[in-house]
Amino acid sequence: MDEAARERKGWIRRSAGRVFGFFFFLGRRAKKTRVFVLLGLLPILQATIIRTSEVGRRAPAGEGLAIFANFLMVFYLQFFLIILTLFYGTSVASEETEGRTLPFLLTRPLSKPGIVLGKYAAYSLLTLLIILPSLLVAFLILAGQRLGGQTAWMIFARSAAVLILGVLCYTAFFTFLGVLLKRSIFVGLIFGFGWESVISYFPGSTQRFSIVHYLKSLLPSAPGGRFSFLMFRLEPTKPALALLALVLITAFFLGLAGFLFRWKEYLSED
Amino acid sequence: MGDGVPVLQAEKLSKWYGNILGISDVSLEISGGIQGLLGPNGAGKSTFLKLASGQLKPSLGRLRIFGEEVFANPRLFARIGFCPEYDSFYAEMSGRQFIAFLAKLHGFSGAALQEKVAVSLQTVGLEERQESLIKTYSFGMRQRLRLAASILHEPELLMLDEPLRGVDPLWRIRIIKLIKDMARSGRTVIVSSHILPEIEAMTSDIILIHQGKIFAEGDIHYIRGLIDGHPHQIYIKCAAPRQLAEKMIGQEYVSGVVVDAAGGVTVSTSQRDRFYEALLHTIVERSLEVEEITSPDDNLQAVFDYLVGK
Repeated sequence: MDEAARERKGWIRRSAGRVFGFFFFLGRRAKKTRVFVLLGLLPILQATIIRTSEVGRRAPAGEGLAIFANFLMVFYLQFFLIILTLFYGTSVASEETEGRTLPFLLTRPLSKPGIVLGKYAAYSLLTLLIILPSLLVAFLILAGQRLGGQTAWMIFARSAAVLILGVLCYTAFFTFLGVLLKRSIFVGLIFGFGWESVISYFPGSTQRFSIVHYLKSLLPSAPGGRFSFLMFRLEPTKPALALLALVLITAFFLGLAGFLFRWKEYLSED
Repeated sequence: MGDGVPVLQAEKLSKWYGNILGISDVSLEISGGIQGLLGPNGAGKSTFLKLASGQLKPSLGRLRIFGEEVFANPRLFARIGFCPEYDSFYAEMSGRQFIAFLAKLHGFSGAALQEKVAVSLQTVGLEERQESLIKTYSFGMRQRLRLAASILHEPELLMLDEPLRGVDPLWRIRIIKLIKDMARSGRTVIVSSHILPEIEAMTSDIILIHQGKIFAEGDIHYIRGLIDGHPHQIYIKCAAPRQLAEKMIGQEYVSGVVVDAAGGVTVSTSQRDRFYEALLHTIVERSLEVEEITSPDDNLQAVFDYLVGK
């Protein structure tokens, strides 16, 4: 690596570090964060209701973990993850242009890709701090009787790892969308709840054009229970390949977002 | 700059927003002192400052600061301060938190950061309200906070877009003094405004910008000369309008007098300073009670329209 490239990388890293702290602080105080924390209570509430209804009934062994797997698939993976990463990812650029605060960042000695990277890191961490505690509590409630065993914790660890990868990957994609488009939320909604949902039911290799395909490929094969049809048509990619694909998608869209942000002009709406 | 390189150099600089012209074929050099950028709203002042602060890239031509291209050149911003015109801030934070955040972006930390924050807030008189949320500040206070944000790193070049907008008279004087002090300490300041007296109070070096082009450039006296030829209208509302009108009719510097039913007199004059002098005399001499004195066309747009022969 030549001197200029090394210096540019150092510049991006320093800028990202400076930006990260502030937006993590600001993100924690944002109204949307409070709303998302409340939203994260929903599966906990539902899990509590389920467990309460089981009082006095002898539940079959493993039913709690099966319900947890369904929670993961239906609520966390296909709804909560998308919503969180969509709103935080697109806001990396859009909140600055809509709030007309971009000049405060652009007229400082900061690398533009560093700004994107710093905000991406701050919002990804924030998303993880919302989603993982919610997942953990839901797991503890549902898997209550089997917590002593290693299997239950392995399932949780795998689920958490998939969500972490999902957060990093989707946030990178939505960050790119926010940098590229003015009305990125709308396009993001279509992608998140249209494309990602529909394409994963297409047979053959078409479903490989979605992020959720690779996330599902990292999970154990179809769980039992009422919602098993959701994974019915999944033709999984091998875990190592799925992991590689997710890392590459994240790096690609994050790199592209940084590149675009560096060269794009943002005009305030006046 | 000591090495002969201009602080700011624009060469045939043009910027379009699609089909809309921002600025066209602007060439100028700025080397030290205070430079006033004067023009009516929509003239292209903000576009020029956005180009000079690297927020926009030129459609044509080039713009260099300290000899370097500005767009996508973040290193330059350790030496540049920019005060935007928009009244926008990050929500839910105090003035001190905001300035401290910006200081961190400049790489300050620890005691140096605390000092920069304290000095910049003190300079704009916000030290007592520094812990209050920005959303509780008045418009003028927010304007001063933006100014603090632009000077905290002691830039060599300071660009201020309408810095006196919404500021109370006392702070107006203080900010003007601050700008002059910065120039005296060897920094370069570019100030934009659409109000001539504001610019006049800070500098005698003015660039007149109109419809995206530099209309005139030079000393304030030259600009004043152009503007003084413009027949002004001055409206005076008083208890005895007819008495006042009577006094004004026939004066060589008055070209027209109209009295309206609401107790107002509209006087047309091409020698505004002489007229105001005479008006003051008349008010004192006849003990007239004056409710209001305004200039309906005393805005830069009217002056420019006159100058460009509309």
